[in-house]
Amino acid sequence: MSSGIDPDLTRKERREQARSERKAAEEAAASQAAQRTRLIRLGSVIAAVVVIVAVILIATSGGGKSKGLAHGNEANKEVSTVSSLVKGIPQSGNTLGNPKAPVTLQYFGDLECPICKEFTLGALPPLIQKYVRTGKLKIEYLSLETATREPETFRTQQVAAYAAGKQNLAWYFIELFYHEQGQEDSGYVTENYLQGLAQQVPGLNLPNWSAARNDPALAEQVTRDAQAANQQNFTGTPSFLIGKTGGSFSKLENPNLEQPADFESAINKLLA
Amino acid sequence: MMSNRAIRITMLVIATVGLGVASYLTYVHYSGIQPICSAGGSCLEVQTSIYSKIAGVPVALIGLLGYIVILASLLVPESEESRFATMAFTVVGFGFSAYLTYRELFSIHAICEWCASSAGMMTILAGLSIWRFLRGESLPAGGSTRVEADSAVPPLPAAGS
Repeated sequence: MSSGIDPDLTRKERREQARSERKAAEEAAASQAAQRTRLIRLGSVIAAVVVIVAVILIATSGGGKSKGLAHGNEANKEVSTVSSLVKGIPQSGNTLGNPKAPVTLQYFGDLECPICKEFTLGALPPLIQKYVRTGKLKIEYLSLETATREPETFRTQQVAAYAAGKQNLAWYFIELFYHEQGQEDSGYVTENYLQGLAQQVPGLNLPNWSAARNDPALAEQVTRDAQAANQQNFTGTPSFLIGKTGGSFSKLENPNLEQPADFESAINKLLA
Repeated sequence: MMSNRAIRITMLVIATVGLGVASYLTYVHYSGIQPICSAGGSCLEVQTSIYSKIAGVPVALIGLLGYIVILASLLVPESEESRFATMAFTVVGFGFSAYLTYRELFSIHAICEWCASSAGMMTILAGLSIWRFLRGESLPAGGSTRVEADSAVPPLPAAGS
């Protein structure tokens, strides 16, 4: 502490000056301490928020649910689940269900889209059991690129699915893809992944499937899907059109993807 | 430089607007209606995505509660602790908004303008509250953070001792 005390000052004035200097120094020290405390508290809050956000990110990324291509018993289990859902239902190209079903649902999806997976695992199975299996509804799968980052990857995976459709097994491939969807943006869709899925599709002739993947008509189909989605101003997946088969379709807005009620309501109106 | 009072009033206005946005989104969520959105179906897509809920709780409702506690912390008499509370709530809100914006951009691939506006407001609130907290008091004498220096000064030795 400085002691710039003027010798001309009286003792009382000197005491007051010293007291004033001490007070100022202590106030400065207290202010610095308070600022330090504030910085520590701010840092603690920011650190806590970073940790909380990281935990939420991990928890909502479906780390345990999106493991990618299944192997061994796990793969058998997925194949069994998908088979029990679609086995015995007529398939034609990208369509599941009786071609003469009175109602058609068009499902615009991106195979890498986790929200489509939510629909695939949620509202879709009861719809298939209740309406498709009984011949009242057919579902056409159309593609729309949303979650897949690379257009080339999108086209490749979609053509792979449609190539299975050449053997009327597209819905096995599509369902297995969603069931074994990997972590979004992780680049899990590789040639090995697509080959692995194809090998799981019951009854798929692999050489024919591989050959069909080079069919330009399938790539054109993906382009037509995009045009159809554009006409409807669809920007997200899943998106849906529904209508009487052979008639005009209308958008199915904001359906609950976990429960079939919204779809059932629309289908029942068309069946009435 | 803005006074503490000006910062506080600015934050109150922004938080009130944010409360309105969050209330609207919560209403939209529970009523099942389509949100007013100039960007096509983007708002609907975000609102109905799997990321619109955390542990079953709609994020719109979490946002609404967030704005309520921020407003409450701004309305209590100003003190070091109230400034800390506002800062903590807004930084948490900012982190939450950052997470939701990430999901919109990289998972849902759609932007909801209501959510984006809320994220913007929360960013401003967090910035202002951090500034206000670090700046400390500019309260009138007797404020709770004022250094009680007088009582801390030891008495001078008596003259001639």
